Amino acid sequence: MREIWKVIRREVRIFRQRPVYILASVGVMIFNTVFYVTFMQDGLPHDLPVGIVDCDRSSTSRSFCQQLDATQLSQVVYYDDLHRARRDMQTGRLTAFIVIPEGFNDDIQASRQPHIAYYVNSLYFVGGALSYSSILTMLNLTNGAVQRQFLRARGVSEGEILSRIQPIVLDAHQIGNTTTSYGVYLNSVLLPGVLEMIVILITVYAVGSELKYGTSRHLMKTAGGSLVKAITGKMAVYTLIFTVLGISLELFLYHWLHYPIKGSVWWMCLDILLLVAAAQAAGLFIIGLFPNLRLAVSVGAIYSVLGFSLAGFTLPVEAMLPGLRGFSAIFPLRHYYLFYVQEAIFGSGFAGWWQEVVHLLLFLGLPLPVFRRLEDAYVNQRYEKD
Amino acid sequence: MKKTKISYAGQWLRDWYGIFIHELRLIFSDAGAMVVFFVGGLLYPVLYNLIYYNGSVDEIPVAVVDLSDGACSRRFVQEFDATRECEVYCKCVSMAEAEQLLRERKVHGILYIPRDFDSCLARMEQGHISTYADMSSFLYYKNLRTASSLVMLDEVHQIQLEHYAEAGFDGQSASTLVQPLVTEENIPYNRPFSYTIFFISAALMLVIQQTMFYGSSMLAGTLRERNHSFASLPDRLQGLGMGRVVLGRGAAYLAIYLVIGTIVTLLIPYLFRLPQHAAWWEILVLLGFFVVDCIFFSFTWGTLITRRETVFVLFLSVSPICLFLTGFSWPETAIPGLWRAVSYIFPSTFGCRAFINLNTAGGTLQTIAPEIRALTVQTVIYYFLACAAVFAENRLHKRLAHRREPQPSES
Repeated sequence: MREIWKVIRREVRIFRQRPVYILASVGVMIFNTVFYVTFMQDGLPHDLPVGIVDCDRSSTSRSFCQQLDATQLSQVVYYDDLHRARRDMQTGRLTAFIVIPEGFNDDIQASRQPHIAYYVNSLYFVGGALSYSSILTMLNLTNGAVQRQFLRARGVSEGEILSRIQPIVLDAHQIGNTTTSYGVYLNSVLLPGVLEMIVILITVYAVGSELKYGTSRHLMKTAGGSLVKAITGKMAVYTLIFTVLGISLELFLYHWLHYPIKGSVWWMCLDILLLVAAAQAAGLFIIGLFPNLRLAVSVGAIYSVLGFSLAGFTLPVEAMLPGLRGFSAIFPLRHYYLFYVQEAIFGSGFAGWWQEVVHLLLFLGLPLPVFRRLEDAYVNQRYEKD
Repeated sequence: MKKTKISYAGQWLRDWYGIFIHELRLIFSDAGAMVVFFVGGLLYPVLYNLIYYNGSVDEIPVAVVDLSDGACSRRFVQEFDATRECEVYCKCVSMAEAEQLLRERKVHGILYIPRDFDSCLARMEQGHISTYADMSSFLYYKNLRTASSLVMLDEVHQIQLEHYAEAGFDGQSASTLVQPLVTEENIPYNRPFSYTIFFISAALMLVIQQTMFYGSSMLAGTLRERNHSFASLPDRLQGLGMGRVVLGRGAAYLAIYLVIGTIVTLLIPYLFRLPQHAAWWEILVLLGFFVVDCIFFSFTWGTLITRRETVFVLFLSVSPICLFLTGFSWPETAIPGLWRAVSYIFPSTFGCRAFINLNTAGGTLQTIAPEIRALTVQTVIYYFLACAAVFAENRLHKRLAHRREPQPSES
């Protein structure tokens, strides 16, 4: 126990001497949190630029434009000709544009079914999809308005008009994110992903630095020749920092920002603690497998970046190629995400997420097979300098 | 400018060439940098293409709770099942059963039709249908919403036609009434809203910038660790030599990255059958501007790196941030002012947009002229910053060396 305490004191000294540790852990986490939270603070984008080429300039077409402009999602930009609008869409300045043909008003009055054409830029995903749905809604409302005029002229009662225009009403409910906030959706998993990345990189860096700077024998001596004690003491310092970061993150998201959560924020804290522990184990595995700081850091970087995609919170895992689906399980973030779905979205409690706890705990066994290899590297210091 | 010596240009070129060759040798003898450049630069595009191979999610399982069980509700469910987006996983007898399936993640949405749906329609009242989407992925929500809206609109038309027929309208006049406007939908560039096309288009250029930044900073960090400084490398360098050092080193990266960049921007889209709507030479022009900008960008910011591995530890999380700053997902117009200003720091902001507009949206060089202009401005600024960094580091290094003189050198 005394040796572990000595190693901890030694590690604290290293931590204070090298600013990279505090910058790469606390600094990076704070910066990323501030970035993603403020970047998507509106939840959903609004006032997306939608172009309108109004060749009719009638009261009907103008009221259509005004109504579209009045929606929260869109902001209308007027164009004189189709080519300029098309070019602006191609350069990404417009998310969509609508062409109202000449004689639009007359054709509607005379029931000649005028053609309205709309173009959606589907390369900018969120903006395009949102504009698309708001244009569809507007066009349907316009259809309804024309029908309403006709029915009113026939003397149909207002109540009946409604059920004739819209016989079916669709109520959409979003479970776990009632406001369909893109920020809530992404940040809930993206920020823990950033923490996972930090944990892996720092674990690899802290353990690997001893090899690189040839201080591993000194570390082993401090720990009384036991690698277990050396690693325990070393990790104790970082575990404390990561734990504080993780719990702060959960409290910040669910307590301060009031991100929707059906279950308990404390279970989410358990989730992030398990994520931290699993990521540390993964980091130890990487440095043990490649006891060479440079290589291990590169491998850790590739591994943690891929974690974001393979966790399956953007493109679901079942949509990936069958051969790749299994790989998602080797990333702690995947299990964090599945735990989060059960606790924060469905609130199903222990019965829902106990399997993910088991999966994350399984990661803790990872350092065992590479233990000898790391010990060998630490004692013999066969580190290639170049 | 300095015309005091005739051999100035000759000396300049000789120095430049020496630095160029030296840097190439450094890169090719450093396994780590080679891994980042060639494995990282080429592996990531392939991996991302494999991960996002199927760009869209089809037939997500949905539980249906049809309490009405009438002709209209059944037709609705059948049409819903027929959509590309959703499939009926099972018909449940109660909401509780469907909720249980949702929690078990066997289904990702619920379609609920209340008991009075058919009778409401028969009474010419509004019938209600509820959908419940699992928000753990936006694609589930999008699919459920799209499918239910499409079916709803189609059903509404059917019912309206029936109603008008009852009132004595049929044929052409009824369909004109039901649909007074005819809409023509045009979704160019990415018709199925494929995740692959949207993500990869942005990621390809970013991979170029980030691997170059990480690789070159790693090399610079290595040199600084050994108490060398790239700024004073060639001993026979004459004059201040900032331009020679920056341009000489830059040429080495240019040579490597024109090869990697061509593979990433031309060969990878070809291999994975991504849209390629621009002429190959237009892509190469954009690539030229972008790579040069990235080189000076990397040199400038690489100044902060003092040790080999710290670039990853400190700056790895910048990659996803850069990706968001390109506006590929969260639209550019909705980015808060501060972050929009930050986005102007990175070449990727303009490079990715230009590549998307040029290659995927089929623009021309004229279309991407504003981005090219921005890249040029950045290049000039970063060139001078990189020179200033060399100058400052050179000074610092000389002063340190001077102070350290009495000691024997360490490495």
